[in-house]
Amino acid sequence: MKKPRAALVPWKKDLKANRTLYLLMLPVILWYAVFHYVPMAGAIMAFEDYSPMRGFLGSPFVGLQHFLDFFDSYYFFRIVGNTLIISFLSLAVEFTLPIAFALAVNELRKGRFSGLAKSISVFPHFISLVVICGIVIDFTGPGGVINQWFVSLGYNGTAMLQHPELFRPIYILSGVWQNMGWDSIIYIAALMAIDPTLYEAASIDGAGRWVRLFKITLPCILPTISVMFILRVGNIMNVGFEKIILLYNPINYETSDVISSFVYRKGLIDFQWGYSAAVGLFNSVINLGLLLFANRLSKKVSQSGLF
Amino acid sequence: MKIASLLSCSVLALALAIPAAAQVYPLKGAPTLSYWMTAGPQWQNRYKSLAETAFGKGLMKATGATLAFTVAPANQADQSFSLMLASGELTDMIEYSWLTAPGGPDKYIRDGYIVKLNDAMKKWAPNLTAYLKAHPDVDKMVKTDEGSYYGFPFLRGGDYLQVFQGPIVRKDWLDELGLKVPETIEDWTAVLRAFRDKKGAKAPFAMSPYTNWGPTFGYYASPAFVGAFGALKDWYVEGGKVKYGPYEPQYKAFLQLFSDWYKEGLLDSNIALSDQKARDALFATGMAGATVANTAGGIGYLNTMMKTKDPKALFVAAPYPVLKRGDKPKFGQLDLPYGGQRTVAISAKTKNLEAAVRFLDWGYSTEGSLYYNFGTPGESYNMVNGYPTYTDDILKNPNKLSVAEAIADYARASYNGPFVQDVRYMEQVANTAEQRQSITIWSTTDMAKYKLPNITPDEKDISAMAKIMSEVSTFVSESFTKTVLGTMKVEHFDKYIETLKKLDIEKAIAIQQRAYDAYTKR
Amino acid sequence: MKQSASERFGTLLIAAFLTLFLLATLYPLLHVLFASLSRPSLLMGHRGPILAPLGFSTQGYEMLFRNPFILSGLVNSLVLIVGGTSFSIFMTALAAYVLSKRYARLTKFFSVVVVVSMLFSGGLIPFYLTVKGVGLYNSLLSLIIPFAMVTVNLIILRTAFEGIPASLDESARIDGAGHFTILFRISLPLVMPTIAVLTLYYAMDKWNGWFYASIFLKDRELHPLQLILRSLLIDGDNGTMAAGSDNADMMMLGQSIRYAAIVIGTLPVLALYPFLQRYFVQGSLAGAVKE
Repeated sequence: MKKPRAALVPWKKDLKANRTLYLLMLPVILWYAVFHYVPMAGAIMAFEDYSPMRGFLGSPFVGLQHFLDFFDSYYFFRIVGNTLIISFLSLAVEFTLPIAFALAVNELRKGRFSGLAKSISVFPHFISLVVICGIVIDFTGPGGVINQWFVSLGYNGTAMLQHPELFRPIYILSGVWQNMGWDSIIYIAALMAIDPTLYEAASIDGAGRWVRLFKITLPCILPTISVMFILRVGNIMNVGFEKIILLYNPINYETSDVISSFVYRKGLIDFQWGYSAAVGLFNSVINLGLLLFANRLSKKVSQSGLF
Repeated sequence: MKIASLLSCSVLALALAIPAAAQVYPLKGAPTLSYWMTAGPQWQNRYKSLAETAFGKGLMKATGATLAFTVAPANQADQSFSLMLASGELTDMIEYSWLTAPGGPDKYIRDGYIVKLNDAMKKWAPNLTAYLKAHPDVDKMVKTDEGSYYGFPFLRGGDYLQVFQGPIVRKDWLDELGLKVPETIEDWTAVLRAFRDKKGAKAPFAMSPYTNWGPTFGYYASPAFVGAFGALKDWYVEGGKVKYGPYEPQYKAFLQLFSDWYKEGLLDSNIALSDQKARDALFATGMAGATVANTAGGIGYLNTMMKTKDPKALFVAAPYPVLKRGDKPKFGQLDLPYGGQRTVAISAKTKNLEAAVRFLDWGYSTEGSLYYNFGTPGESYNMVNGYPTYTDDILKNPNKLSVAEAIADYARASYNGPFVQDVRYMEQVANTAEQRQSITIWSTTDMAKYKLPNITPDEKDISAMAKIMSEVSTFVSESFTKTVLGTMKVEHFDKYIETLKKLDIEKAIAIQQRAYDAYTKR
Repeated sequence: MKQSASERFGTLLIAAFLTLFLLATLYPLLHVLFASLSRPSLLMGHRGPILAPLGFSTQGYEMLFRNPFILSGLVNSLVLIVGGTSFSIFMTALAAYVLSKRYARLTKFFSVVVVVSMLFSGGLIPFYLTVKGVGLYNSLLSLIIPFAMVTVNLIILRTAFEGIPASLDESARIDGAGHFTILFRISLPLVMPTIAVLTLYYAMDKWNGWFYASIFLKDRELHPLQLILRSLLIDGDNGTMAAGSDNADMMMLGQSIRYAAIVIGTLPVLALYPFLQRYFVQGSLAGAVKE
């Protein structure tokens, strides 16, 4: 829906007329300049053998060496691989389950039960990540509730986060616990917006539950699903490091170490500032590309996107 | 009589000089010094900073310096340190493990973070200088290859303080089963089997964070068991050649042993456990009967804890195992007098160099040393026949504090800092017969011959070394875990060696060798 | 809509599954709550689910609050939430208002500035040095000012402002009102639901935050609650870390302290929860960001 283009007002007139408006924006621009654009200049660290005592201008220039080192590293594939795998698993599980949940709740539309279902399922979303991870560590640790349950099924009772192959399920499922309810809300809202007369017509025609699902429900919420999906795809190289850092340890790095946690560790713990900045920069650029791609795709599919 | 007047002049000068030296403390001008450190685990949840403890207050009073502390939480030490460096604004004094900091102390001097202390020490640190002169081997340790002093070190003042870890076993179970304290690997296998079969222990040998079963985590790389086969889990020196234990062929036999033990159910199935709580639970429920632990934190702690669970339980130290009975263990835990912990360096940008140096030097004086180790006379200790004896407040604290925590209120002997740890601290803290014996038993090794000193690789080698070793140590600890669990086969040991070669371990060994040669020439 | 027998059975099945799921969602929280109120000695050896407190004891809480940083953490978090959220809403409102005025030519440029900032970042160290450089280090302001605006929220609010008819604007201007007045007296009240949602978002961010607090605040007494909880819950430090600790009692209490910490870390959210519920739908929709 494009608005008709008005004739452009000449600058002088514009500045005079909107002086106070622009003044309102001044603190905002200042804020962006100081806290976003000034630090951007620091990205030059990625091309230097940075040392804080010599500063940005005094540290020796090494060009693309850090990037090459990263691509050459024994663990390059592991880190990028983990990032992608965790993202795809998240897409497969954390994306689809809220939809299924919303559909289920929608089937029980009438009654206080769905209200209760929503309330309870959404609550974990508001619990802080630190607490969530604390619970996870406790429950999967030796003697923990979940751990013990698996012991009764034959598991050997060791701390589950010490097993690299268990990290991803723990990471994903705890994410489901925390966010499924909240993520489902948008689908529930979309479902409620479906015209009820469609269903009435269908039931008159004798359509059963599954037919209703595939012929009416899903097509109606498809636009919502596709926008959400595409935006998620745009973020596949962007696994946030906070939860990873809270749950990972050297024993499970094999499956838990992702790009963002690697950047953090190299930068802040190993003092390899330039190298860490380079990997971070690499990640930023890839993310930017994916985001733009996803945005374009989303606009094509449903006329709506992030920008 | 020119000579006489000259003589009397110099005698007069001397007479005037000596009292002047004794009036250094409290420091003139009451300087304010900033001090960065990580919180001591023994007090970090009770005090916001060292300044609030009785120790801190007394320290400031005695030296006359006012200290402005910046205390980093223990679990954020590296991050906080990194951020401080990144900002370029360092406090006057920085207490950190400079020896093991990435790049080595020389790098930080060269890059302009901290001061090379040689001249300053000569002028203003008579106490430390005297100590180092009297202990030339220690002197070598606290310098860099280039001969620079970089910080005021934490030193262990005697052999008695350098050994405190080794295998422990439940004596009451041994007695019950008619077994002797195990000495050889064969003995151990028999004992663990007996624990499993006759005492119902599901994890006869418990593994825990104190033992560090992989070079990447924990503080100590325990030589127990692996040492019996003539290898170690970390670096060592043999006949002038630097070696990396996990790369040596003897390491295979060690992997085989543990893999077999695991299959037989003699090991705690939580081999990668990093939780003291779970280990304690194993002992409390009678599921385990042996492990590798420390004198106070292991034997002392367990024997106290078990009193409520099973009053008969008694943990004692077992010697480091050997292959053939009668052999002396080749390797054992042995801390060097200087390990680099909590060394205090001085910022290159400080305006209070003399005050800082003098302040830190006080800890090495007679008075200061007593204070850092034992605290305040009358409150935390009393001189009994010339022997500083901790009070009951410390040893049997009424507020349920542990001995280490109680000491930390008044002194620093129970952790580290810029002073020389006094042997008499350990003599009192290791207060049961079992604990005292453990030190003697565990000291009976040849480790002193093989211990790798604190070498620092050359600057251009350091980043290569760091990159190689971070990948190598991850691989080694993962391989150990996998082998013991059975997912990696011991027969494929050559493949494991191949991978290590691919990870450039030989390059790392060469770098270490160069560093070692440079060290011996110091 | 009448349901056949099979349909009713299907509905029942769905209801059963949902109930199961909801119990599974609730259980961890109940477990923690009951465990925190259990006697430590009984808790130590206990295996399996906990459906009621084992014995009754508040020792975990007593020991927890002996840590002076728990209380200071709560206070700091409160300050951050109140101060930070109001400042953020203020700044976001300013920015969104201006950006919504498409007739002004410069707003296109402003939009670009805003969007580009979202796509690219200089990394943690430069950001840290900047914040330090402007003098905010070791002050709670370091968690308020540099984090004033989340660009996505800005876009949401801009969209809301764009929904206000331009005629309201014009009549106010004719009456001589300046932009500042229009924004805060006319426009803002009209988008209160959106403001409420953004308040929720910003407040949640402040409540959950721990990482940047660890970077910018060196004094532990300034640390917000979640950062304090991190050392308790994740790093396993509950005061028993003393190498050579011979205090078996403390070891037992460690577990209880952890559970009490989890409860305290969740309590404020639980208390506000009923109040928050009405904003769920708007919040979730806003999160989808439609243009």
